Amino acid sequence: MFKTILFATSATEASDHAARVAFNIAALNQAALHVFHVLGVPSRGYSQAVTDVKTKERVEVDADYIAWVTEELQTYYEKQLAEGDVQAGIEVAVGFPHREILRQARAVSADLIVLGRSTGEAEDSVYKKSFAGSTLQRVAKAAKCPVLVVSRPAASFWGGLSNIVFGTDFSKASDKAFELAAELARTFACELHIFHALDISSMHMGRSASQDEIEQQRREALRRIRAQYVSRIQGIDTYSLEVWEGIPFVEIVKYAREKHADLIVLAHHSKAADAEGPRIGSNVEQVIVRAGCPVISMNK
Amino acid sequence: MPKILIVDDDPNIRQYLAALFEDHGYLTVVARDVAEALQTAQDERPDLITLDLDLPGEWGPRFYRALSQEPELKSTPIIVISAMPGSRYAIGNAVASFTKPFDREELLKTVGETLDL
Repeated sequence: MFKTILFATSATEASDHAARVAFNIAALNQAALHVFHVLGVPSRGYSQAVTDVKTKERVEVDADYIAWVTEELQTYYEKQLAEGDVQAGIEVAVGFPHREILRQARAVSADLIVLGRSTGEAEDSVYKKSFAGSTLQRVAKAAKCPVLVVSRPAASFWGGLSNIVFGTDFSKASDKAFELAAELARTFACELHIFHALDISSMHMGRSASQDEIEQQRREALRRIRAQYVSRIQGIDTYSLEVWEGIPFVEIVKYAREKHADLIVLAHHSKAADAEGPRIGSNVEQVIVRAGCPVISMNK
Repeated sequence: MPKILIVDDDPNIRQYLAALFEDHGYLTVVARDVAEALQTAQDERPDLITLDLDLPGEWGPRFYRALSQEPELKSTPIIVISAMPGSRYAIGNAVASFTKPFDREELLKTVGETLDL
C-alpha cells in the first residue's frame, strides 16, 4: 500500500528502533525505502562549515565528505540492507533536518515518512543546540503524507500488523486518517479499533460532570462513530468501537495497550499554513511520545 | 514443583537457564520460537515463562499477545530476558525485565518471589 517510504535517520542509536520498523514496513509493502540522513547543520552565513551530527566535529562539506558519510551509513545499516527483501537506497544531505526531510519527501514522492525518537535527549545533540523546536513536530505538521513515528524502543516491535487503533475527534482531518486506517486494515487483514476519548478534563471548566452526563455523552459519541465510520468499513471483517472518558492522550495509550495495537492512526490539525511553526496538537504529540506502538499522524 | 517455560532461540541460553532453574528445584520446559512456545504453554501449563524478545520469525511480544488471548494462560507471569537495549517495557505486563548479561541471583530472586505468591 505504501510504495515509497522515506526513513529519516540520525544513524545513531536514537533511530535504531525506527529503523527496524522502517525496514519491516518496507518489506511488508514491498516498497522502495529511501534511507535519508541529514549529516549536519550549517553554521551561520554561507560558510561551508557544518557541524556533523554524528561526530560533533566541524567539517567542510564537499563531495568526498558526503561520499564518506554515505559509506558510513551503508555500514551502519549493513545487516538490514543485506537481508535483500527491501529495495533500499541511502541519501545524504546538509541543512536543517526538517526542511531537508520535507524537501526529500517531495522529491521522491514519498507516501510515508518514518522518524525515530528525537536526538534532543542526548546531552550533546547538535540539533538541540541549533533548534528551538523539534524536527519531528515540524515534519509531522507540514508533511503532505502520513508520518510514522517510533519514539520509544518498546514501540518498535512491529513483526506484522494485526491490530490498528484509529483515534478520532470527529474532525475533517480525522476522516482522512480514518481512510488510511481502514485501507491499512483491509490490506493487511487487521482488526480495526475505532476509538474516541471523551475529554472530561477540560470541557466542564472546573465543574465536575455527573456520571449520567458523561455516560450520555459516551452514548452520543458511540452513535456518532457508528454513523460516521461503520458504513465505510466494507472489507474489514473484525472491528470494535469504543469511547472512554478521561484525558484523551492517556486513554488512547491505554486503549492501544489493551488492544495490543501494532499501530495507532491519528489526525492532527494544522490550521496555520506556517510550516516553520513547531507545534502539532498536544494530544497527538503526547500519544506519539508515550505509545507502546508506532503512531501514524496525518495532516488533513 | 513449579514449572518454568524458557523461550529463547539461543541454545546456550536455554541450556544455561534450564540448568540454573533445575538446580534450584524448578521443573523446566523449553521452546525456540513463538509457535513452539505457544504449543508448549498449552501442553505443559507452566507456572512462569521467561521470554526472549528477538525470536526467529515472530517477535516475543506477539507471543505474549497470543498467550493473553488464552483464558487459561493469560495470567501466567512473564519475565523478559533479552539482549535488546531499551526493551524493558516491550511487554507492559511482564513481572520483570532482564537485559543479557543478567545477574543470576537477581533473576532467581525474582522467580522465587513470583512463584511464592
